[in-house]
Amino acid sequence: MKIAVAGKGGSGKTTIAGTLACIAAERGMPVVAVDDDSNPNLALTLGLGAEAATPPSLPRDLLAERVDEQGKSWLDLAVPADDVIERYGVAARENLRLLVMGQPQHGGSG
Amino acid sequence: MCRAHATVRGVLNGLVAQTGRMAIVDLEAGLEHLSRGTARHVDTMLVVAEPYFKSLETARRSFDLARDLGIGAIHLVANKVRTASEETAIRDFAGRHAMPVLAVVPWDDAVAEADRRGVAVVDLGPDAPSVRAIRAVADRLAPTTPG
Repeated sequence: MKIAVAGKGGSGKTTIAGTLACIAAERGMPVVAVDDDSNPNLALTLGLGAEAATPPSLPRDLLAERVDEQGKSWLDLAVPADDVIERYGVAARENLRLLVMGQPQHGGSG
Repeated sequence: MCRAHATVRGVLNGLVAQTGRMAIVDLEAGLEHLSRGTARHVDTMLVVAEPYFKSLETARRSFDLARDLGIGAIHLVANKVRTASEETAIRDFAGRHAMPVLAVVPWDDAVAEADRRGVAVVDLGPDAPSVRAIRAVADRLAPTTPG
């Protein structure tokens, strides 16, 4: 099951996402919690220190460009997803890994 | 979109599409990620809203975008609800806009207390009101857990 949690800033979406991740992991499911917010604080909600919220830099060679018959190209993961989770994720608790996506650090060209 | 941003998008899309684990993605606040399609590989979207009009309006627009992405299950989760009249207001709004309400999570001082202490709220208060409401969310999403 793949769940996205959306909401306005301040709505408590990170608390909902983090708590749901902890509960699912507690029930024995292997879970990856992904922080895609440009102001990442899912780590704090999982009880991890601020250092766990620092995103790893994801190398570009994780991706391969694919092209379909119509010539439309897109970027696809070139390595197994679970390898990325193991290598770049942080163990938050049993059955739960946190992966912080991070955002480009420069302004104006995103 | 710059190259670094495209890398993050590509990794996230592939990750969610390919992992065998349960994936829970805390999206960027607001609506931009939805219009970019970042979340298109999820099967379920939870839209969290507080009981006031601006938050509910943002939720309504999030529902529209998530429907456009073709996400199969979209649910409203009301959060920080203090009174019965707040709950009624949320349910009325949700009913008018065909937004199914999965859970109503009450206001809970344990959330702020956990934040101050740097611990997860499930560890501080396993039976805190908000945690109980979110356990019910887990039950409704996956009644036959683990799986």
